[in-house]
Amino acid sequence: MALNEPVLRWSARAHSIAEIETELARIWAKQDLTTEMEGAPARHIAARTSVMNLVVIARRPEIAERGAATIQALTGRHPSRTIVVQSADPDGPSWLDARIEAHCVLPREDAPETCAETIHLTAGGEAGRHLSAIVTPLIVHDLPVTVWWPGEPPFTSRAAYDLLSGADRLVVDGSTWNGDGLERMREMAGLLDVTRLAISDFALIRQSRWREAIASVFDDPDFLPYLGSLRRIAVTYATHDETGAPGSTNIVKPIYHVAWLASRLGMSVVKPLAIVAERPAASRSKPAPGGRPMVSRGMAATLSQGRGEVAVVLRPVVSPMPAGTTLRVELLAERRGSELRADVTAEAEAVHVRVWQDGVEAFERRFLAARRGEVDLLAEAIETGRREDIATVSLRAAAKLVGGPIPPAGARPVS
Amino acid sequence: MATRVKGKVEVPVKDPAPVDAPPDQPIPAQPAPRPKDAPKTMRQLREVREGKRASRAKPAENVLRQGLHLERVPDPSVLVLFGATGDLAYRKVIPAMYHLWRTNLLPHEFLLIAVGRRPYEDDDYRAEVRKGLDEFSRVLPIDEAAWASFSERIMYDRCDFTDPAGFDRLASRLDEIDTEHATRGNRLFYLATQPSQFADLVAQLGRVGLDHERHDGGWRRIVIEKPFGHDLDSAKKLNREVGKVFRESQVYRIDHYLGKETVRNLLVFRFGNGIFEPLWNRRYVDHVQITVAESIGIENRGAFYEETGASRDVLQNHLLQLVSLVAMEPPATFEADPLRDEKVKVLRAIASPADSPGNVVRGQYGPGWVAATQVPGYREEQDVDPLSETETFVAARLTIDDWRWSGVPFYVRTGKRLPKRSTEIAIQFREVPHRLFREAATEPDPNLLAIRIQPDEGIMLRFGAKVPGLGMAIRPVTMDFTYGSAFNIDSPDAYETLILDALQGDASLFTRADEVEEAWSIVDPIIDMWASSPAPEFANYDAGTWGPAEADEMIARDGKRWRRI
Repeated sequence: MALNEPVLRWSARAHSIAEIETELARIWAKQDLTTEMEGAPARHIAARTSVMNLVVIARRPEIAERGAATIQALTGRHPSRTIVVQSADPDGPSWLDARIEAHCVLPREDAPETCAETIHLTAGGEAGRHLSAIVTPLIVHDLPVTVWWPGEPPFTSRAAYDLLSGADRLVVDGSTWNGDGLERMREMAGLLDVTRLAISDFALIRQSRWREAIASVFDDPDFLPYLGSLRRIAVTYATHDETGAPGSTNIVKPIYHVAWLASRLGMSVVKPLAIVAERPAASRSKPAPGGRPMVSRGMAATLSQGRGEVAVVLRPVVSPMPAGTTLRVELLAERRGSELRADVTAEAEAVHVRVWQDGVEAFERRFLAARRGEVDLLAEAIETGRREDIATVSLRAAAKLVGGPIPPAGARPVS
Repeated sequence: MATRVKGKVEVPVKDPAPVDAPPDQPIPAQPAPRPKDAPKTMRQLREVREGKRASRAKPAENVLRQGLHLERVPDPSVLVLFGATGDLAYRKVIPAMYHLWRTNLLPHEFLLIAVGRRPYEDDDYRAEVRKGLDEFSRVLPIDEAAWASFSERIMYDRCDFTDPAGFDRLASRLDEIDTEHATRGNRLFYLATQPSQFADLVAQLGRVGLDHERHDGGWRRIVIEKPFGHDLDSAKKLNREVGKVFRESQVYRIDHYLGKETVRNLLVFRFGNGIFEPLWNRRYVDHVQITVAESIGIENRGAFYEETGASRDVLQNHLLQLVSLVAMEPPATFEADPLRDEKVKVLRAIASPADSPGNVVRGQYGPGWVAATQVPGYREEQDVDPLSETETFVAARLTIDDWRWSGVPFYVRTGKRLPKRSTEIAIQFREVPHRLFREAATEPDPNLLAIRIQPDEGIMLRFGAKVPGLGMAIRPVTMDFTYGSAFNIDSPDAYETLILDALQGDASLFTRADEVEEAWSIVDPIIDMWASSPAPEFANYDAGTWGPAEADEMIARDGKRWRRI
């Protein structure tokens, strides 16, 4: 057995919650659970190790498989009771099909194996709509409950509300949501007020090195005073839609940049984000022959900081990078007739910061930032304790930037 | 009560802000220190919130830093490593820097200037470093892409430490590097040399002005490896020499034990959990045992060890650091000086065991068997005096004369060629006040909390449980937490933790000058006492045993015995 490689040590099937509970008890009731490898002496398997309940809501089988594989990779790092829930045949009769597995890892050559359970659960018909009723009996009590909801969580549904109100943490990836992602972002912000959920969004976690890079500009005591005098925040993001039509590209990540800055600097929203009007046809430059048509001029908002106003611009640019990826964050600050301009750009595996003071380049740094996969992102989301401040204030600020009333969670009928 | 910031001024408000608030409501932000000219009256507060009054206060701190929990990347900087061709550099310091680089925790604008006396070109030295990494890196194989970019940042500087011109050249070269590589005058000098060279190196750095912190933010720090002096007088002298050039806030004295994950966890365990601290005092604790056991001998370092011995090598630093971490009061904050203040208070409260000669025992190993291998006695080791009186084992009974620990003995022991490598802190709790189960087949043992520092880092709590059956038999059982099982995470080496801390200016896990001197004032009288006593009959314990019989007798006088580890 290879070190730290999860190995399947137990598998059983069940068709009701009671049967699942019986199977779970059978796994761990077995005295002196040992395993024999070919030609190797029997090895003792440690008793179950669980540090949390991890619930994955997967609407499609391929999402369930991917989620389970990601969690298996974390078995050694965060041994959990994992419940992967799928629903099927929503109009048919209610049924339940579960596969209960124990995966074990060998942390060290001379150590016992560490094992954790995974329950793959498919619920059909009406049962599939009552997620909370399926999950709640299966969680290990007194351990925190994290719900990882890949895809498009229906935050305003009763089923989602019931499930999430009993959870401690919700993990999502806002950058994968359909359309521009803004409506769902506002719905998610609504959960902060009606639940005690901590929310981890991969879209925000991925930007940690950007935040580090932007913050580093103002570590310099000469530049720190400009922090109170920002006048413009511009975020350029990649799009694949050459028309740049509103809603065609997910802009959750660009909005998080602005929201984080706004929340940290105590900015107020004067005008929420709105689509920037097209230039009059006469002033529009025609694309060169064979060139690309001009994309949308993006979205704009106005914030206030003290007595000054801060212009916010989100600008799409056709790029081969994944749609919605931040390509550049520009900050402009003016103070007593002096101007500070910071330009933060993404490079292959780095974030590059350049700063000009009154037109003279005054600062340059690169921050290495290896791209992180789902395993790393989920690990970081799990390791963050309670309600993480940046996630909470950034999400609230993002919802205000987007504007409009926030739909109350759970207010809609069961979907 | 949370706070919001309007402009640059803090305004207290209720938390959380309603999500359906109109868009002109401020977005909740984090508390920042209150500026001096912050609004004080209700009218001023209201006007600021309405945007009618602008604060002239400068932001007191970079609020964008708040809540960034990713390890902060240090400032652009140059690490100047003296003793770059030595064992410590190849085994520990450079592998630690490579791992920090590999995990993106060093700044892009980073250079390692390796200073040594051997005549290497940059490429020759890089080849030596690579050999060292292939042998000593904790993660193998080496990541070739990371190595390629890391090795580009290594430069070798040949310098005879006794030649002032070499330091002049070094100073000029560092200035050029600042210009060419944007390292902004930030320099960390790392002294991985013989201790006898520390004072001269520091003086040379001062002579060429490499200690001066620049007004535009360029910092200068110096890392000094242990031992910090040979006795109290030499420690004071070294501190004085270092203090002539560097301010105390620029000096980082490394005791790598403080960078170990379990040692850092000791603080979390004590002060991050509510259930242990109420028991952590003379009322509930019977005694404490701290063991730093090594199965290895002196590993061809006979000349060094002859002048050092177990007291200077381990007791004065590692062991007393562990004692102070176990016994300290909670610091007000987890910052460097409050933490070190509390540790110093513990050291000041320890009476030297030399005051009661029976409270300290020394030993020297003779030939024996360790891990099924026959090993020679200390006096037969290379570069060791055949009549050596150097101790390879020391055990002591310490008392901490303060409100919390008065009357609770701390038994400490360390030695070479003991049966196994193990470092452990054991908190032995008192027996129950009333022996309710005296009729039982076996009475419950007192509770024990063992914190294993190495190997198998973890924490074990022992308590009594009834053996299932009709009778009333009680057996000790354990609740065992093992780092390796609970967190299957690649823990950083202590040097990685400490080098990153030094680059970030966090001195919490480094030893302050007064700590060093207080520790010497405990150990010095022991060494003086031995120097003025008749020569002991060494060797007095066999290699592969737990030290001399006198150590067992010392603890037995109190009706206790050493834990079997």
